[in-house]
Amino acid sequence: MPEIVDNKQVFTLYEVASSIRKTLAERYTSAFWIKTEINKLNIYAKSGHCFPELVDKKEGKIQAEMRATIWKTDFDRINQNFKKVVNEPLKDGIKVLLLATISYEPKYGLSLVIRDIDPGYSLGELEKEKKETIDKLQREGLFGKNQLLPLALLPKRIAIISVDTSKGYSDFIKVIDQNIFGYRFFHMLFPAVLQGEASIASITRQLRNIKKIKKHFDAVAIIRGGGGDVGLSSFNNYQLAKAICSFPLPVFTGIGHSTNLTVSEMVAYQNAITPTELADFFLQKFHDFSVPVQHAEEVLIKRVPLFLINCKTDFKNITHQFKTTTKNHLAGHKKEIHYLSTGLLQETRFRINNEREVLSNIKQNVLKSTKDLMKIENLELTRSQNTIQKESLRFFVQQLDQLKNTEKIIQLVDPMNVVKRGYTITSVNGKNLRSIKQIKEGDVLNTLTSDGNINSKIINIEKNP
Amino acid sequence: MSEINYTKAFDELQEIVHEIENGEISVDSLSKKVKRAAELIKICKTKLTSTEEDVNKILKELSSADEPEAEV
Repeated sequence: MPEIVDNKQVFTLYEVASSIRKTLAERYTSAFWIKTEINKLNIYAKSGHCFPELVDKKEGKIQAEMRATIWKTDFDRINQNFKKVVNEPLKDGIKVLLLATISYEPKYGLSLVIRDIDPGYSLGELEKEKKETIDKLQREGLFGKNQLLPLALLPKRIAIISVDTSKGYSDFIKVIDQNIFGYRFFHMLFPAVLQGEASIASITRQLRNIKKIKKHFDAVAIIRGGGGDVGLSSFNNYQLAKAICSFPLPVFTGIGHSTNLTVSEMVAYQNAITPTELADFFLQKFHDFSVPVQHAEEVLIKRVPLFLINCKTDFKNITHQFKTTTKNHLAGHKKEIHYLSTGLLQETRFRINNEREVLSNIKQNVLKSTKDLMKIENLELTRSQNTIQKESLRFFVQQLDQLKNTEKIIQLVDPMNVVKRGYTITSVNGKNLRSIKQIKEGDVLNTLTSDGNINSKIINIEKNP
Repeated sequence: MSEINYTKAFDELQEIVHEIENGEISVDSLSKKVKRAAELIKICKTKLTSTEEDVNKILKELSSADEPEAEV
């Protein structure tokens, strides 16, 4: 009951709280279904009770927030049923449809007491989220991006995102470290939470770390194991799947479960069902590299000597063949040369004889012809000689006769001869006198006679009538 | 030894082996090729059975790369 202090009605806090409790209990008598999201589940391990923090978000912003309670007995039942249907335990960030009553306790305040949760609703929400993630990645062209990266020929430097105490991690390490082939891997653990809502941020943070030192690695392996099929829905988360898609190194997943593939596994470079299978994949890559190298070694050890032996044999055969062929060839040539030389000799002899005969004939012909010609020429010469003799004699006689005649004529015309016959020759002043015109009275005339000269003076000159 | 080196070594080795197996190799170049192949085999085998990475060095590098993480 309120007391009166200074005319004021004063309640204790308990009285107020009790009043609220009474009012609420009268107003909210039955349980009702509420659609909400569990922001934090807050399980108290010791008591087994659960005090979830419920939120209602619109476009990412919190519109309502309320505490809730699930008593241990309810929680065990609800969680078991939930796991069976959704393959997930109740967890942070999950959307739920829950049956609750409103409770108000003066000591604890307002909370919703959850009586039941409909797992079908959550399953639908998770499937919806998965589909949305796929659609969004496909729309952004990121979906198969990691699968297009080139994988190192030997993916031997592996960045492992896992939990160091997990069975999956130890299985993986065991297979790749204790292989009997002596293959040596370099692996480095980037510890992360691999289950539940927290895994999203945890894995993406480690991916960011690896990205900074990516040059030291060939591949990333996200390994989980031993967790069964539960708590995998975080692998459908858009942020995580996107981080895998756009990671600059091939990302491998081996998260060990038997349910439908999560989006992260779908977009990984390669997914293995178990960590062991993933480890085998890496070993296989080493085999793929090692087998040809071993083969190459074998080729060097076995094939090369064989090759050399073959070469030697070939060489021997060829040499032998060369020898034989050359011999035969030479023999053939020798024979041919012999034939040819014999033929040449015969031919030459024949030719020489022939030519000799021809020459001899020519010689005889020339001789005969020369003789004939000389005979003819001789005859001609003799005839010419005779003619010349005869002709020259005749010419001399003729000339002699002519000379004789001339002499006679000359004798005839000699003045002395005329003088002898009684004639004289008169001259005046050294010139023979032919006309009276040459002289005048008183001139001395010279008269030549046969036996002397007479000089006389002209007395008279009478001109012939 | 970088990644490209052993990949190249592997490819070159394959080529030589192919040549030897198909008898495409001449006796003249055989000894040179065999020598080269032996080298390449050594490179490849070393790559299979050893590692040069050092965790401590990588961790150091990672911590020095931590500062400009503001973008994330």
